[in-house]
Amino acid sequence: MADFADKFQRAFLEGDRWKLYFKGLGLTLEVALFAAILGLVIGTVAALLRLGKTNDGKNTVGSFIAGVYIDVIRGTPSVVQLLIMWFIIMKNSTNGVLVASLSFGINSGAYVAEIIRAGILAVDKGQTEAGRSLGLSKAQTFLYIVFPQAVKNVLPPIGNEFIVLVKETAIVGYVSLSDLTRVANQVASRTYEAFFPLVGAAVIYFVIIKLMTIGLGILERRLRKSDHH
Amino acid sequence: MIIIKDLRKEFGDLKVLNGISYHIKKGDKIVIVGPSGSGKSTFLRCLNLLETPTSGRISFEGEIITDPKADLNRIRRHMGMVFQNFNLFNNLNILDNITLAPVKLKIKSREEAEEDAFRLLERIGLKDKASAYPYSLSGGQKQRIAIVRSLAMNPKLMLFDEPTSALDPEMVGEVLEVMRELANDGMTMVVVTHEMGFAREVGTKVLFMDEGVIVEENTPEEFFAHPKSPRLQDFLSKVL
Ligand SMILES: Nc1ncnc2c1ncn2[C@@H]1O[C@H](COP(=O)(O)OP(=O)(O)OP(=O)(O)O)[C@@H](O)[C@H]1O
Ligand SMILES: [Mg+2]
Repeated sequence: MADFADKFQRAFLEGDRWKLYFKGLGLTLEVALFAAILGLVIGTVAALLRLGKTNDGKNTVGSFIAGVYIDVIRGTPSVVQLLIMWFIIMKNSTNGVLVASLSFGINSGAYVAEIIRAGILAVDKGQTEAGRSLGLSKAQTFLYIVFPQAVKNVLPPIGNEFIVLVKETAIVGYVSLSDLTRVANQVASRTYEAFFPLVGAAVIYFVIIKLMTIGLGILERRLRKSDHH
Repeated sequence: MIIIKDLRKEFGDLKVLNGISYHIKKGDKIVIVGPSGSGKSTFLRCLNLLETPTSGRISFEGEIITDPKADLNRIRRHMGMVFQNFNLFNNLNILDNITLAPVKLKIKSREEAEEDAFRLLERIGLKDKASAYPYSLSGGQKQRIAIVRSLAMNPKLMLFDEPTSALDPEMVGEVLEVMRELANDGMTMVVVTHEMGFAREVGTKVLFMDEGVIVEENTPEEFFAHPKSPRLQDFLSKVL
């Protein structure tokens, strides 16, 4: 028992180690937040490009490019993407947070793009036809009718994507960033005791994810209350 | 008002419209009947270019609207369309459904548009639904609102694609009533329907379409009393 308490003491309290975990968590959340924002922007643009059609119904060049981007990102591991960003594309940058945020943002954008594309396609075609038959342009119909309905479709899966993103950042240790996972790992190797640091990190991730899930649930319920379908 | 010349439409290998020529005059109430898959919807959708014809020519008030350079958004303002599934905008309340297009297209100010919308809603007895959302309405109410949504654009012509086919039987009457009033007001109408009573009573001409062509065209009296082609006789014996 004394041994147990001792290990706990060394994992969290000795030398104020608990502060390290929270610093690590801060970095985790920082990267996740930047990446989420970037992913949302890239994903929206990529989805709109992907859906682009010429007047005679063929895919546009933009659609092709967006398709390749989505394909490549989804077809390669995010660790490899991160390493490529760190060691090749941005090898002169010393700002690990920036590199990681960019890498995860670009990664997340591909998944967000597919979510948004599906959300737009799920809006009944009749809505567009009604808009066009009234004389509204393609853009007006999209902006006032299709897009608002698509937003409701995509909020739950986008929320999910953000949750995935927080967990995915656990690999930033590969580019020497001290996120929550890496801190826990470092404490474990310094104290020769893995149990408390790793379980501790897992508990912190779990609490954060749980909070996000609850927040998203509230948001969804509120949306459903004003859902007009 | 509309002159259609040798209109053809193919979807890939499927030939849906096989050369339709017809002249719709101002004030006409054209009723189109025919078996499922005969191309009635496709024909209607070609008139406001929701479908692009494969070949042929359509002119609307002297303007060739099948010309690739034609300004479709402007042309469509003058042609209302009512769909089988209503297609009210799910994200907007009834008032906004009606005012969206006139306001965004700068045809009316918001005040004018709302005033007109309330007048139209009053006419169909649904003024109290102005702030309701489509999901809370019955099919018959939705369809009547879809009709006045089109009317809010002051169209010169109204296209109806089986406006009562998705309705419960007890709601068909209220929608046909609105259409009847519209016809009495002199609106030019093209109506695809299975309601033979309506065709007989309101139609100035009834067309029978089959396999992408107009097989027969006549006044309602003649059309129903003395069908000429065997195909129409066969069709009428099934639906009457
Ligand atoms: N966008 C499309 N792509 C491919 N085929 C289509 C398309 N629209 C219609 N068709 C086909 O064209 C044919 C005619 O369809 P249309 O909807 O015009 O018939 P209709 O006379 O309106 O039938 P109904 O009484 O069932 O509504 C059908 O075989 C249909 O499957
Ligand atoms: Mg049809």
